Amino acid sequence: MTLFHFFNCAILTFGPHAVYYSATPLSEYDTLGTSVKAAVVYLATALVKLVCLATFLQVSETEVFDPYQEALKAMIGFIDVAGLYFALAQLTHRNISQNHKFQAVGLGWAFADSVLHRLAPLWVGARGLEFTWDYVLQGLEANANLVFTISLAALGSLMWLRKNKPKTLIPIIYTCAVIIATMPSITSYLRRVMGWHFPKVVGFELMTSLVMAFISCQLFILCQRPSL
Amino acid sequence: MAEEKNSRHRHRSMVLESMYPVVALMLVLFACVELCDAATVVDVYRLIQYDISGVPFGSRFSSLNHHAASLSFQRGADLSRSVLILPLRDLDIAFVQDYISQKQSLGGLLILLPQMFRPGNIGGGNVISETQGLRILLAQLEKLLVHSNIPFPVYFAFENEGTDAMLADVNKNDALGQQATATTGGYKLVISVSEPRKIASPTISNIQGWLPGARADGDSNQLPTIAVVASYDTFGAAPALSVGSDSNGSGVVALLEVARLFSTLYSNPKTRGRFNLLFALTSGGPYNYEGTQKWLKSLDQRMRESIDYAICLNSVGSWDNELLVHVSKPPENAYIKQIFEGFSNVAEDLGFQVSLKHKKINISNSRVAWEHEQFSRLRVTAATVSELPTPPELLESAGSLSDTRQHVNDDAIIKGIKLVAESLARHIYGHQGKDIKIFADDSSLAVNPFYVKSWLDILSQTPRVAPFLSKNEPLIMALKKELEDYTSEVSIQHESLDGIFTFYDSTKSSLNIYQVASVTFDLLLLLVLGSYLIVLFSFLVITTRGLDDLISIFRRPPSRKMKMA
Repeated sequence: MTLFHFFNCAILTFGPHAVYYSATPLSEYDTLGTSVKAAVVYLATALVKLVCLATFLQVSETEVFDPYQEALKAMIGFIDVAGLYFALAQLTHRNISQNHKFQAVGLGWAFADSVLHRLAPLWVGARGLEFTWDYVLQGLEANANLVFTISLAALGSLMWLRKNKPKTLIPIIYTCAVIIATMPSITSYLRRVMGWHFPKVVGFELMTSLVMAFISCQLFILCQRPSL
Repeated sequence: MAEEKNSRHRHRSMVLESMYPVVALMLVLFACVELCDAATVVDVYRLIQYDISGVPFGSRFSSLNHHAASLSFQRGADLSRSVLILPLRDLDIAFVQDYISQKQSLGGLLILLPQMFRPGNIGGGNVISETQGLRILLAQLEKLLVHSNIPFPVYFAFENEGTDAMLADVNKNDALGQQATATTGGYKLVISVSEPRKIASPTISNIQGWLPGARADGDSNQLPTIAVVASYDTFGAAPALSVGSDSNGSGVVALLEVARLFSTLYSNPKTRGRFNLLFALTSGGPYNYEGTQKWLKSLDQRMRESIDYAICLNSVGSWDNELLVHVSKPPENAYIKQIFEGFSNVAEDLGFQVSLKHKKINISNSRVAWEHEQFSRLRVTAATVSELPTPPELLESAGSLSDTRQHVNDDAIIKGIKLVAESLARHIYGHQGKDIKIFADDSSLAVNPFYVKSWLDILSQTPRVAPFLSKNEPLIMALKKELEDYTSEVSIQHESLDGIFTFYDSTKSSLNIYQVASVTFDLLLLLVLGSYLIVLFSFLVITTRGLDDLISIFRRPPSRKMKMA
């Protein structure tokens, strides 16, 4: 019975990635290599972030929201963005259209993030006899994370790969990218200072991810028009 | 070309082979990581399991893995795969008796005791009448459980917030008719221990201390000896909780204090009496005083014949005005008269009453009701000083669950100590009938109430069921050391508890309480997730490739494959 629960949570956490890959034209153009490369870049970024966190951050015993520590964490979070830039701009990909490139990179990035952060707790925790909602909520969070990452990759590709953008849209693109990049800080602020419980935080993340996806989709379409 | 291919194959196979141990290690690691993440873990104590001449008694099983059920279950429900949780306050003895006598199948029984019965809990503040009622109920329950053969595990636990919350939940669900089973979820109680095994050769350890008297110069005759004896081990429904504060912690404390007082007296050669003193802490009390018998038989015959008389102490901790002296020789016997007169004179001075009770020994009956009977069977005059008016039945009043520290009266023990010490001293120093107080309060020989209290506290937190005590048990070592301080020669005698009793181990475990979801819930979740993924898939196909592509996926798979080829 408990392996059943583990199986359920696993397909909730990792299923959407596989579904996304097979449903969109990504599978037709065989962009798996790009996704794998993006996953490897994510691993390297995670290592660098770990080292920076260990070096610069002080561990506080209580769950007090220290603005300086949080600001430091947000700065280190931007290493994420740098990694994404590297994956999008610097790596050589086969001839894939820009449309598919950011999707593949985003997908690989989000999959690596889910595996690293959620597989181990899932394996250790969801197989026990005791039932909690935690792992279902974690799976929903993974879904929200997937949408966030793809939106961020889309905005990133707009920022770095597309040269002629309408002037008015540039600030919007940058603000949206900043919001998505600082999402972890925002959620930890909500959890600690406002005292929101996990279900509420996950609901908030899901809603914001849909909103952000919609906005970045619109921005992408708007940016595509003048070049055509 | 072929060579290159070969080398590549070899390289690949080498890489694969080196991966096997890593893969195997990972598999083993993954299989082993089964963390115990129960919401609540509670200490539980198992009912005793023993055989008398091969006839089984007590709870015969120890491991438990069933759903929880409470008293609100619907009549006629099948409880053979449930654990029934019974709080002591709501216990109905007749109900339990029915269940056991009719041999109805039950997955297990968990009895929740109020915190006041916990050893080491000194807290008062309970309503006296309620406490009395609970103690009587607990004694009845113990008697029933100890003398029945129960084919399911029975455990005792103390109430705390976790168990209270769980019980309230289970009650609510049972009242609604949703009994916890595999398909409806609920609470699951798991105790994972191995099956209980026989204790191979249980040992009983007798500790004796010898305090020699003063021999006049040129006197080659053996000095007479007086023995003071108390049995220190217990027996109860839950061996891990059987601390026996009154039976016989009070007797042990009284013996130690008398030993201390006389060692002070005898340390000065001028006040050393003309009697030897022999103090013995015997084991095997609940089992017809087997330890006392073996100890007596191991004594040198001359030593045994030199014993003038022996005083056995049994339960002197909760009496008010009357203490009883039990004898097996008829009261008209000169020795008995002398001993009893000594006791009653001292008691009169101290302000309470002693009575003499005579019980004949039945040689054909193997049941030994009092410790002094073992002496009498070997022709040594002996008497038992006790508060109990009638002899306890076999395996009763030997340290039950309700015999806790709170119900022992320190003052009663102190009065008993004064009685025994003063009468011994008057006999030893020849002051019979004279009104002299040797162990007066405020003197250097006063009875020390703090000593009594501290030893009683220690004994009330140490379960002392003999088969579960090893030869080098810390308690035995402590008692030996204490006697070494007060007497000149101490020896421990280890014997094996043979005869008709056999005991089984596994007395204390941890209970894990899990809150489990039903299978229906998991299936429902799977359904929801499956439909979510299908919806996601369709949505993505429609938005990125168009509706036609979605339909074509489901209509003509073969032609698509042909197209790809």
